[in-house]
Amino acid sequence: MSNAGSTGVEVRVGEETHSGRAVDLTGLHAGSQRVVAAVRGEVGVDVDGADGDDATDGADAADSGGGRLAVACPDPRAVHEYVGHVRPSMGLRVRTALSAAARSRGASAPQDDRIEALRQRLADLEVPEPPETAAARRRVAGTEAAVERARERVAALRGRLQAGREAGRDVSDVESDLAEATRELSECETERAAAREALERAQRQARERRDASDRRRQLEDRLANLERAARRDLVERFRDEFADAVAVAPASEAAVAEREAVADPFETDAVTAALAVGRVADLRAPVVVACDRFDTPEAATDWLGAPVIRVSP
Amino acid sequence: MLLVVAYSRAARRTLRNVCRSHGESVVRRFGRVALLAETAFAAFQALRLREKHGGDIQIERTRPFNEFEAVDEPVREAARAYEQRDRPSLPYRTFADGTDHPDPEQLRNTEL
Repeated sequence: MSNAGSTGVEVRVGEETHSGRAVDLTGLHAGSQRVVAAVRGEVGVDVDGADGDDATDGADAADSGGGRLAVACPDPRAVHEYVGHVRPSMGLRVRTALSAAARSRGASAPQDDRIEALRQRLADLEVPEPPETAAARRRVAGTEAAVERARERVAALRGRLQAGREAGRDVSDVESDLAEATRELSECETERAAAREALERAQRQARERRDASDRRRQLEDRLANLERAARRDLVERFRDEFADAVAVAPASEAAVAEREAVADPFETDAVTAALAVGRVADLRAPVVVACDRFDTPEAATDWLGAPVIRVSP
Repeated sequence: MLLVVAYSRAARRTLRNVCRSHGESVVRRFGRVALLAETAFAAFQALRLREKHGGDIQIERTRPFNEFEAVDEPVREAARAYEQRDRPSLPYRTFADGTDHPDPEQLRNTEL
């Protein structure tokens, strides 16, 4: 949210204020989800979960029940999305999280320039809205038959006119019918031409749109490949540091035994992996710790090297 | 036949599912493209796809190609002669130059 000194955290719950690098909110039954939302700047969080009722009187929201919760801290970096909320039920994409941790440390990957260029190209790429081709098809349908009908009528009237003249009858009615039919034929032909042209235009637009979305998909695929390569690169560089952190992460005896049985640090349990990634990362915003790996919030702060808000699980 | 082309991943997925469930309507499927039979049921499936995915589904109707109806003898003759050329790297333009074979521009500007 907003700044609260260099790396400190200021948590306000109703009238109460807690501040420092290690804040203990275990006494308060604030759902850890809400605390995380407050850290990430999703403002207007009620501790007791009442939505709306006591939040109606504005920013200074007075206390009622648990009171409103506000956290002042530096803006979280991307890595906070992965390891900013450590809880027993969590899952973690460890490699993605570790590459975000590497980014928080200012690490860059050899693919970065190309990734940036591709993102720019994608941002500049405009895919037009799909044209209304159904209306154009509907308009064309039937114009051919209409022309055919008008043509047949003209031919029939011509025949009658010819026969009438040869027989010396009065043909003025037939003449005016023929003039009318000829005008109708010309109108039908004009409409057919216009309808076909409109359809061709719509089809051209549809083709352009498909070309553009094909190009976008190709760029997206290339971007995804480069991002994967960049992540692999970053993970490779921070792999040892991460493995060391996993090896010294606090855990129950059972978890330690299990950890030792698993050779690959990337296969460790999610909480341990999140803590280890957090230790590798440079975290500005507080980590909301909702697990019982540390005796005190201060111990968590020391181990992670980051501000911590301890909440009950 | 009906030619159905999918232009998004979601559209491609639905096209694949339709082809799997209604194999009898599918003449051939290549990746994101399918040729469907000339039946109202196949048209129904194609329209359903377009209803779901809008502009990401293209539907065209194909016609059998009969070269004895669609093009004149010189075009057929040129194709036959060019495929029997001695130098494989010879471009068609050069091949046709100074012969009775139609030049590429002429071919491009002639509609079927």
